[in-house]
Amino acid sequence: MFKDLDPILHSQLRLAVMSLLISVKEAEFIFIKEKTNSTAGNLSVQIQKLKEAGYIEVTKDFKDNYPNTTCKITKQGIAAFEDYVKALQEYLKVGQKK
Amino acid sequence: MHSSIASVHFICSNYFYKMDNDNLELSPQQSLQLIESMINRAKDKFAEGGFMYLLWGWAVFFLSLTQFVLLHFFQYTYHYIVWMVSWVIVIYQLVHTRKKYKKQKVHTYTDYIIGYIWLTFVVLIFLLGFLIGRLTSGEYYTYIVPIVLALYGMPIFLTGIIMRFKPLIIGGIGCWMLCIITTFIHIYDYQFLMIPLAMLIAWIIPGYLLRAKYKSQ
Repeated sequence: MFKDLDPILHSQLRLAVMSLLISVKEAEFIFIKEKTNSTAGNLSVQIQKLKEAGYIEVTKDFKDNYPNTTCKITKQGIAAFEDYVKALQEYLKVGQKK
Repeated sequence: MHSSIASVHFICSNYFYKMDNDNLELSPQQSLQLIESMINRAKDKFAEGGFMYLLWGWAVFFLSLTQFVLLHFFQYTYHYIVWMVSWVIVIYQLVHTRKKYKKQKVHTYTDYIIGYIWLTFVVLIFLLGFLIGRLTSGEYYTYIVPIVLALYGMPIFLTGIIMRFKPLIIGGIGCWMLCIITTFIHIYDYQFLMIPLAMLIAWIIPGYLLRAKYKSQ
């Protein structure tokens, strides 16, 4: 039977953020915004959801007197991402057999 | 072939224009394409401008030449004193690296690992200086050049492998070859000329090539 796709990850912007964060050590909010072509408002909401799920760590500090947000994927986030990719692969395998 | 590339491109560009529309239903195929394209986007930046290679390459080049002149032409006993200048460069580099780290919007694993390779190299250079001084009696300086060259090759070679940058890989191997050649030079003074040569092939030339690649982005 199919594995359920994690609803936290199965959303365009959240999946994009997680894919970015899985390939780097940490990234600033502005970097994620540039790479995903998203608006600051929506990105903040999605980052908050990922943080609440325990998938990312968010640190806020100051850089040149301006507030600066840095995001980093957690162990739990990596595990969830791996499960998500495995589930996708299962879907695709079934699709190919048909 | 072209049509499949075009359709992938169309799907990908759609993601970025519609990224804010969270209600779009993702198919498993689209999810995988999105993951792949985002991972590629994170990787596409070449962050090394070659500054450190040029700074240290030229510094060590001139310092070792000065040491050779002091030793060979003036028979100055404390010829190694020139290396005291490197402390000033260490401080300058620490300030520069700190500034650069703060400026970067993203920190990749590649940068992180390369940073630790260089830290290991610095620790090894200092440990080596300490060990040779402690364990050998008096004649230690006759072995120092080939040993230092063997060590110089390590961070250069590894950085080249990680960054997939051939000039650094060649430079690292070049250091190791010079290290062997040095052992055949029996007049000790001339061994010191191998260090500026190593700087040229392993640090200065790759440094300029890195800078060119960085600027061409």
